[in-house]
Amino acid sequence: MSISPTEAEEALEAIQVMVKKTRRAISNSGAYAFLIIWGVVWLVGFLGSQFLPAEIGGYFWIVMDVLGGVVSAITGMRLGKNIRSSKNTISGKQIGIFWLLVFLYCGAALWVSGITEGKQLAMLIILFVMLGWMAMGLLLSFYSVWTGLALTLLALIGYFFLPNLFYLWMAILGGGGMIFMGLYIRYRW
Amino acid sequence: MAELNEIIHQPIRLRTMAALVTLEPNEEVDFTYLRKLLDVTDGNLGAHLRKLEEAGYIFINKVFVERMPRTYVSATAAGRKAFIEHVTALELILKGK
Repeated sequence: MSISPTEAEEALEAIQVMVKKTRRAISNSGAYAFLIIWGVVWLVGFLGSQFLPAEIGGYFWIVMDVLGGVVSAITGMRLGKNIRSSKNTISGKQIGIFWLLVFLYCGAALWVSGITEGKQLAMLIILFVMLGWMAMGLLLSFYSVWTGLALTLLALIGYFFLPNLFYLWMAILGGGGMIFMGLYIRYRW
Repeated sequence: MAELNEIIHQPIRLRTMAALVTLEPNEEVDFTYLRKLLDVTDGNLGAHLRKLEEAGYIFINKVFVERMPRTYVSATAAGRKAFIEHVTALELILKGK
């Protein structure tokens, strides 16, 4: 079998296109949905904390977290298993249960600690959500560990160094950043 | 010296192998998902997968997932080796060797 250099070049280009398309499809297989869900929760929740009275802001967060948890659980359960791995046998249902447990434990930790101050509450919830996010990233190879670490660092910087702007900081950079990244993975990656 | 592989060189089979070798060695892809990725029909993909399976380049795994029958496809070690050799041969042709 012999082919011309032009045909060889075309074949190599076709291979490169397919490799890129496959990598993009694997990346798209769910991670972006969780980024957008939690981006919206953070954006709305933190804006509420910044601009609403403290008591209402607190309740606002509880509602947003419960909504985020339920939507994440449903999304996890509905995630298709398009790529299976012999190393990774985690089902969508297990992902859903995992997120429910993260929220139950977060709720228990808040209850036991007795924290009532808004920023501390928010920071503890952020730490739990980010821990869950990174654990899921490691288990499902979503390559989302770096995103989780970056958002955690961002939150800690805001918490310790920008206390007066913490909520706005987290709404725009944290929530907005997550939504932007989710949309970027979905449409551009 | 690496030689062109006639079974792999056919455009759909070439793209199929490119997609399969992109996955980790322990991973397999759902038939329907692969069909959408390649933008081909069921019958077309099925025929090309049979050719690749006969050559020992891919493994077709028919299983039940939550009581639903599903077909998963993966590249074998021989398939990965043959694909790499084919790519090497293409690169040599391009370099004019």
